[in-house]
Amino acid sequence: MTLSPLFWTYVKVVLLVATVPAIVGFVIVLAERRIMGFMQARLGPNRVGPQGVLQGLADLVKLVTKEDITPAKAEKAVHFLAPVLAVIPALTALAVIPFGPPVRIGKNMIPLWVADINIGLLFLLAITSIGVYGIILGGWSSNNKYSLLGGLRSAAQLVSYEVPMGLALVSVLLMSRSLSLVEIVRRQEATHLWFFFPGMIAFFIYFVAGVAETNRNPFDLPEAESELVSGFNTEYSGVKFAFFFLGEYTAMIIISCVAVTVFFGGWLQPFPHVKALQFLGLVPGAVWFLLKVGGFIFAYIWFRSTFPRYRFDQLMALGWKWLIPISLANILVVAFAILLFPGRTTGLVWLSWAFSGVFVVMYLLAKLRQKLAKRDRLAAVPQTVES
Amino acid sequence: MALKKWLDKLTLLDLFDGLSVTGRHLFKKKVTIEYPEQKKLPSDRFRGMFRLDEERCIKCTLCAIECPINIIYIDWHNEKNEAGKNEKVLDRFDVDLKRCMFCQLCEEACPTVPKSIWLTTKTYEMAAYDRNESLYLDIRKLTDWREAPNVKPFTVVERG
Amino acid sequence: MSDDKISQAEKDEAAYFAERAKAQASAAAAQSPSASGTQDAHTLFDVQEMELNFGPQHPSTHGVLRVVLKVDGEKILEAKPDMGFLHRGTEKLFETETYPMGIPHTDRMDYVAAATSNHAFCIAVETLLQVEVPRRAQLIRVILDELQRLSSHLVWLGTSGIDLGAVTPFWYAFREREQILDFFEEYCGARLTLNCMRIGGLPFDLTPGWTERLAEFIADVPARIDDYEQLLTDNRIWKKRTVGVGVISAEECVEWGLTGPILRASGVEWDLRRARPYECYDELDFVVPTRQGGDTYDRYIVRVQEMRQSVRIIQQCLAKLEPGEIRGKVPRVIKPVAEEVYASIESPKGEIGFYCVSNGTNKPYRMHVRPPSFINLQALPRLAKGHLVSDLVALIGTIDIVLGEVDR
Repeated sequence: MTLSPLFWTYVKVVLLVATVPAIVGFVIVLAERRIMGFMQARLGPNRVGPQGVLQGLADLVKLVTKEDITPAKAEKAVHFLAPVLAVIPALTALAVIPFGPPVRIGKNMIPLWVADINIGLLFLLAITSIGVYGIILGGWSSNNKYSLLGGLRSAAQLVSYEVPMGLALVSVLLMSRSLSLVEIVRRQEATHLWFFFPGMIAFFIYFVAGVAETNRNPFDLPEAESELVSGFNTEYSGVKFAFFFLGEYTAMIIISCVAVTVFFGGWLQPFPHVKALQFLGLVPGAVWFLLKVGGFIFAYIWFRSTFPRYRFDQLMALGWKWLIPISLANILVVAFAILLFPGRTTGLVWLSWAFSGVFVVMYLLAKLRQKLAKRDRLAAVPQTVES
Repeated sequence: MALKKWLDKLTLLDLFDGLSVTGRHLFKKKVTIEYPEQKKLPSDRFRGMFRLDEERCIKCTLCAIECPINIIYIDWHNEKNEAGKNEKVLDRFDVDLKRCMFCQLCEEACPTVPKSIWLTTKTYEMAAYDRNESLYLDIRKLTDWREAPNVKPFTVVERG
Repeated sequence: MSDDKISQAEKDEAAYFAERAKAQASAAAAQSPSASGTQDAHTLFDVQEMELNFGPQHPSTHGVLRVVLKVDGEKILEAKPDMGFLHRGTEKLFETETYPMGIPHTDRMDYVAAATSNHAFCIAVETLLQVEVPRRAQLIRVILDELQRLSSHLVWLGTSGIDLGAVTPFWYAFREREQILDFFEEYCGARLTLNCMRIGGLPFDLTPGWTERLAEFIADVPARIDDYEQLLTDNRIWKKRTVGVGVISAEECVEWGLTGPILRASGVEWDLRRARPYECYDELDFVVPTRQGGDTYDRYIVRVQEMRQSVRIIQQCLAKLEPGEIRGKVPRVIKPVAEEVYASIESPKGEIGFYCVSNGTNKPYRMHVRPPSFINLQALPRLAKGHLVSDLVALIGTIDIVLGEVDR
């Protein structure tokens, strides 16, 4: 029996909305706490279930049963709406992300994405911008000048970092000639070149801007505990706080998914043409996608446990004075590479080799310099410290 | 020199070094002792819970004098024993554990050998739900810990 | 006091308070309303001050410290520390107890570096008694002091990192600190409030195997310090947060009376272990780290270098240890001559000194503490002026205060 595509769309939407928050609450929160713990020479939470797997459930129960406090003079309607506005755009953005190649179920080929619109990237950028409303309204509706300041700072940060994010994706657009995410993956398949290689700089800019977009360390000043202003979610407790939390982590997943799709080939297996690694093709594309997204979430957690945080003015300076000019220059470079050579992929291949070569050489030189400097420093240890 | 610094900055070397430190620690052995299933063995000089030996005590009250916070309360009276000589009999030997700072000065002041009041070296778990009742130790509780239910003698040793 | 004296005192007190109230009322009437940002006397571009409370309960104040801030937007115009939440009357307690009973109280002042407080107290009383501390006791005291310096700087490193967002050095530093505290526990029975020194020397001798295990542990410490440095020293984000924050010049440090790493990071090479050697520091070979800039990054480097030098000192002392006496000849009841003495040593926070006035009895007439954290905290308003609120946490961390010592 062939079911209408609309039926399958409904099934996929329900599955996404049901599983993604569950994964966030149960898997990502626990993974973050355990992995951060391991990096910090301690074990994370491991008492609630075997190895702590029920920690997410404990957190969920705690948040849901907490008293829902609304400040006395707050705007009740807006206070209620703000967390919703933070979560819904993040969940909606999941609609255009291709989780894997079309699979065969019964007699149908079911694509593993909810909708393949031909302006996929633009849709994503637009939808995540709506999430900023949740933060501003959350900060404003609490009737607390410190949350207002925190919310405004957070909103300024988010808006500023959308520009380099968009510009980085523009350079990918030059490579793929399409905004549709599925089309981007297919182009990477066709050219046998993941867009990470010619787009190395774009990837770095995109990921840094992505970390800033989700208010994560090292850009989490608006919600740091050691600051006076504890951010827009001061006055939220219980389910509403859980929604903000969920919105932030879902945005993390979105950024990772987009990075994987656009730069790392989405559901494609690595080394598809190396005969020795053909067994990798046995792993379904969706699993590859999940593995790659998992790697990015790990990178998020790794960043959080390593770096100190930027002060707000330094954060804005980084975004406006460094990331935007570099991303503009990157667009020019990619455009040159594409136009200079015949065909579309030759230029990209040359660019990949150029970027990789330059980066590897510079890295080796820097490491060598570091080793020599350390040797000189150790030889001088008993004397006074150099000024 | 400027070129080298620029090289470091451009290749994000400092950030990668930082990431490598945390990355390495991800795989190192963890030193966490998971209390209460595993407990650390206190050393042989650890200042733990009090014990009193009533027979050895000569009621000189030096411990009460030496205590920096005056939490030892001693009362004694004279009695004639069988030989007809005056003998000190202990009425009250109370230690107010709420305020004790376990400085061991009372044990140092005690002149008997072996000491009549001493801090045991392994027992430290004496948490109680009410302060005034459980944390005020009278002579019964000091001599025999079974009278003081909140004091848990040290038993389990799995990781030292 | 007789009755008429008491009533006279009460009258004087009432008169004083009445005077003060009158003076305050006239001052308030003369002042224009400014602090609440009312609009009447101000134009659009006048400074709108907001008075904020960096309250006693805050994760970053390293204790209960209240800082009353006057801010203009994010810029700090004035930062006044309001301390006293942890005051326990330690100096009064010293007066009511005999000399040996005072040592546990010194533990609780700077609870992160208890051995140095004990040490300073003991040196003050030993100077009054003219007691000579035997050599083995001197070496062990130096070892305990330097271990305590290492431990205190590890706490500073961890908490400073957390305040600025780097959450991992805290856990690494405390892992090392656990091992140091284990050494202390094995030696004197307690981990934090040590009570590990007595007048004339030490209470006990070292346990067998302590020196071997300490030598093994200390040999590993420089590699761990390398780890912390790799995480922070060259990190561009750390540098951005700390370079240029809280600059104080050498002359100002000397004027304010600041001591310790703050002084040495501003260019003044003054370390009591080198300038006024006590115990056996004059025969030890170590470097006094000094830097010229005077900002938070320099103070960070100075403290990390001090950690490395502490390792060297401990290794040298362990090599020089020989069997011997651990306590000098001290009378049973300590009754120093009726004199005054000021004795100070270099604690991890700065110069800790005890000014002891004895009146010939077994209790001091007055025992005043010169707490380094208290005196260094004075500099906070000077350091914080002109910086942003986000820098305030970095500044409190870099002065490295312990509220037990600030408030006593």
